[in-house]
Order: sequence, then C-alpha cells, then structure tokens
Amino acid sequence: MAALSVDFEKRLGDFHLRPRFDADEELIVLLGPSGSGKSLTLRAIAGLLRPDAGRIELPSGAVFDSRLGLDVPPQARSVGYVVQDLALFPHLSVAENIAFGLHGRPKQEQRERVRELVELLGLEGLERRLPRETSGGQQQRVALGRALAARPRVLLLDEPFSALDAPIRNALRREVTRLRRQLGLLALFVTHDLQEAYALADRIAIYDGGSVLQCGPRAEVFRNPASVRVAHLLEARNIFEGRVVSKTEAYTEIETPWFRVRARAEGRLAPQARAAACVRPEHVILLRPDRPHTNQLDTTLDVELVDEVPTGNNHRLYLRVVQAGDSQCIIEADVPAHPYQVMGVASRRDWLVALTLEETVAIPMGDDLT
Amino acid sequence: MIPLAIDAEDIRVSLQVAGLATLICIVVGLPMAWLLARHQFRGRTLVEVVVTLPLLLPPTVVGYYLLRALGAGSPFGRFLEDELGIRIVFTWYGAALAAAIVSIPFLIRTSQSAFEAVDSELEGVAQTLGRSRIGVFRAITFPLAARGIAAGVALAFARAIGEFGATVVVAGNIPGRTRTLPISVYDAVQAGDIDRANLTALLLVGISVASLLVFSWSLLLVRR
Repeated sequence: MAALSVDFEKRLGDFHLRPRFDADEELIVLLGPSGSGKSLTLRAIAGLLRPDAGRIELPSGAVFDSRLGLDVPPQARSVGYVVQDLALFPHLSVAENIAFGLHGRPKQEQRERVRELVELLGLEGLERRLPRETSGGQQQRVALGRALAARPRVLLLDEPFSALDAPIRNALRREVTRLRRQLGLLALFVTHDLQEAYALADRIAIYDGGSVLQCGPRAEVFRNPASVRVAHLLEARNIFEGRVVSKTEAYTEIETPWFRVRARAEGRLAPQARAAACVRPEHVILLRPDRPHTNQLDTTLDVELVDEVPTGNNHRLYLRVVQAGDSQCIIEADVPAHPYQVMGVASRRDWLVALTLEETVAIPMGDDLT
Repeated sequence: MIPLAIDAEDIRVSLQVAGLATLICIVVGLPMAWLLARHQFRGRTLVEVVVTLPLLLPPTVVGYYLLRALGAGSPFGRFLEDELGIRIVFTWYGAALAAAIVSIPFLIRTSQSAFEAVDSELEGVAQTLGRSRIGVFRAITFPLAARGIAAGVALAFARAIGEFGATVVVAGNIPGRTRTLPISVYDAVQAGDIDRANLTALLLVGISVASLLVFSWSLLLVRR
C-alpha cells in the first residue's frame, strides 16, 4: 500500500476539487495550470481545508475520512508545510522561527535541533536576525528549516521557489532533492513550471480543473501521456490527431489529415480507434535532405523551416510539413546549440525530419473532449 | 501662590471610572474584535452595527437607556439591588459602565483592523507546526496585533476619561463619588468657579494629548 493516498472532494463555489493520487517515500510533483487545485490539495493534506468527502492517508495513518468522521487537526498531522509566500513569523528571529515547531520540548534539545538545521541549511550567523533582515534565498531556507524541525514524515512545498532568481532556484532545488533523500521524506511539490517538475519529480501528478488527469513515475508520464490534454500540459507540442489505420507487433500506424506516422506498439488501441500521435520537440530528429534516414520504421517527412526561436541552450525550430500543402501543419523541433552550428541550420530552409518509432506515442482519444 | 483649584477627588474618581471602563472594553471588546476579524457568522452585520452605534448616538441617549435598564424602575435593576445588593445607578460603577459603552467602539474597531492585518496564512502554518488554536493566538496573532490593540486601548481610555453625557445621566454629579473631571468642568462653570474650570479643563487637554501620543506611537510601530 502506498504511503500517501489522496482521494477527496471539495466544492468551492463553481470549482470542484476532486484530486486522486498516491505516492511512496519519494518526491511527487503536482503539476498543472494556475487555479487547477494543486495548492488547495496541499491545504487539505495539511488540515487547513476540510474536504466535503473522501479520505486522506499519510504514512502515519489516515488523517481524514468522511465516512469514519475522522478529521485530525493540523497540529496533530505532523506535516511540514512551506507555503508559497513562506509566511515566516515576522516578529521572531531566524532561530525562533526554526524552533517554533519544537515548542514544549526541552530547551537543550531545541537548541541542538536548531543548530543542526542552521548548519544543514547554511544559515550560520543569521540566527538572531529577523526574517526581513535576510535575503530571499535565506528566507526560503528558514521556511524549509522551520518545516523540517519537528521531523515530519511528509513535506508539503507550495511553489516555494517561484519568487527567486534562476541560480538560487536551481541551487535550492538540488538542496531539496538532497534533503529529501537524506531524511527519507515523502515530499509533495506544487509547481506550474514544467522545467521545475522535470528537474525534481520522482513521480508526477498532472492537475487540470480540480482533477488529477494522470499520476505515475515521471518517465512513464512523460513517455505515455494518458490523454491529449496531458500531452498538452506536458508541452509535448507535436500532437497530431487522427485514426489508427493498422497495428502490428512492432508499431501502431496512425493516419492524420497531413501524413501517416508510426508510433510505438504499446497501448490498447484497436484499428479505426481515434488516436493522436505525439512526439516531444527534443525527440524530433533533424536531417539534411541529401542524407536520408536509415531506419525504415521511423517516419520521415520533408519540411520547410519557417521560424526559429533561440531558447538558451536550444533552438526551437518551426517546421512546416511540405506534403500537408496549404493546410498548415507545423512540427516543432529542439536542436541543441552545437548540432545547430555544425549542421548549418540557419543556412537552408528545406530539411527532413525523422519521427522515430521509439519516441512517437499513440495517445487514445476515446471520449477525450479536447 | 496659586490655590490648588483642582479637586483631587475628581482625579481619583476619573481614573477609577476610566480604568474600569477600559478594563470592561478590553474584556468584552477584544474577543469581539477577534471574532469579527476572523469569523463569518450569522448576524455579523448586526453585531458590527451594534458595537459601532455608540459612536453616533448622543451619549445622553446611551445614559438614558442605561438608566432605564438598570435603575430601580426596571425589574433587572430591582433584582440587582434587592437580591444581590448591587447598585449601579448613581455609583462610580454605573459611570464606568456608561463610559465603557461609549468607548468600546474605539477599541473594537482598532483591534479588529489589527487582527485583520495579521496574515491568516501565518496562523495556518503555526497550526501545522503543532500549536493549538489558543497557542497560535498567544504566539502569533496577539503579538503581531499587540501594537494595534494598544492603540485601541489608548483611544478607549482617552474617550472614557473624557466621557460626560452618558456618565452624568447614569451616575449623576456627586463630588467624591461620581464627579469625574469633565463633570467637574461643567459643575465649576455652573458655580462660577473659573479657577477650577480652567485647571480641570487644562488637565483634560493634557490627558487627551498624552493618550493621542500613545496612540500614534503604537500605530507608528505597527507600520514599521
């Protein structure tokens, strides 16, 4: 049985929150657009939002069960909660903030635990300062230390790094991952930032409109989005809707209005079923037309380079599929800086792309409304 | 030598009345302010109207209704006097009660804003860190609202010490027992005792200014 299991309902005006997912002692990212109910889910787990119905189970046992009339108050849930705006206690020093959750324990123990966390989080010398006398990154660490002090088994992090500069954010992400492993915590991390989700997640739950569309190990979710909507939310970009025309041991072939494409054979798709073929931009292979691709099972298409946007390490290329004619069909491809230079991408407009069988997934569309 | 024209008894009575009135304001008003700041409940608007009303009503009207409610003419007043031996009208307790009612809007309004200014997220997080609701109030809400509350207390005290209309109706003008400083000013003017009127009025100005200083000092610290 999973260490964490969330399955509840809450109506707030027109919004219907009904998340359902589980996780073990790992880092699970709740990813989804703003207002999809991620933060509210954390509040419910922390005990600050009371669900209308359902059940929430933590490693220590059930904390909410509407059928049993169980609702453990927040102070007894032993959950470390870092809220988005941190909510450091402005009238207490850094050390007092960290020690807040140790109330009632012997002074000596409190002092030792605070010293331990100050060291762990690199806050030496700031113990007596007030929160507003420290930097943004330091405040993050204080909030983290305060949440960890009483050794909770569950850590809830609500977009804790969104207000920080990229370098500090990256450093803190690594720190959170390290701490989580070191302490064997179950951590829930809320974000709407795909990069952040990818960098942190062991497991990922995709939120949309109050529900969890898909939950699973990160690689699995990215590799096999359960629906077109999930693929969109994961910024898969190249999603071509069509119909299954043939299915073999080796592949599923999908006919789209623009071209035919072969996808991995995984899945439960029957011939004629509606399905979308999906390839992430980083998996699209760009080839010179004079050097054709060798693997016969992969799909190759003539394309014309119509636009490009440098994204730092990559170039995002917008490639128009030639055989689609006037009906615009664009494939997006990410090409890293080095191949971009070597291949002389900027020097010509006609190219070939290969959509590999391995990286092309067939997404069932059954009753999917999008 | 200038004759000491102020009656020391007036000062004592005033401090007693304003002190007790402020205490009543704190005991009744603080929970009320917290309730209004943190909770949605039925009849909330009605409560807000009732606690604000004394600001707008002529104090003599407040005093008149108190007199009707607690005097010997009312069943409740008779019950208090006959069964419990407590007499409210024409005593300094009555004066304090009247002053409290007139002053309480200042304390409630100011403290309510002070409580509202405390981010409820802080209280939520404090709870997840193992504190009960009372523990959270003591460790977070109260300390953060304390300066605003102090400002409210200073205002209420200033209002109570300057109260005239309600107290004079409920408690009358009995030197050494219910004659407060403002009543003494009126009394001195009536009696043509200009020295007493001058000095007492000046003392009241001083007290008001001092209270105002405490008030703005508290608020200044809040904004820090």
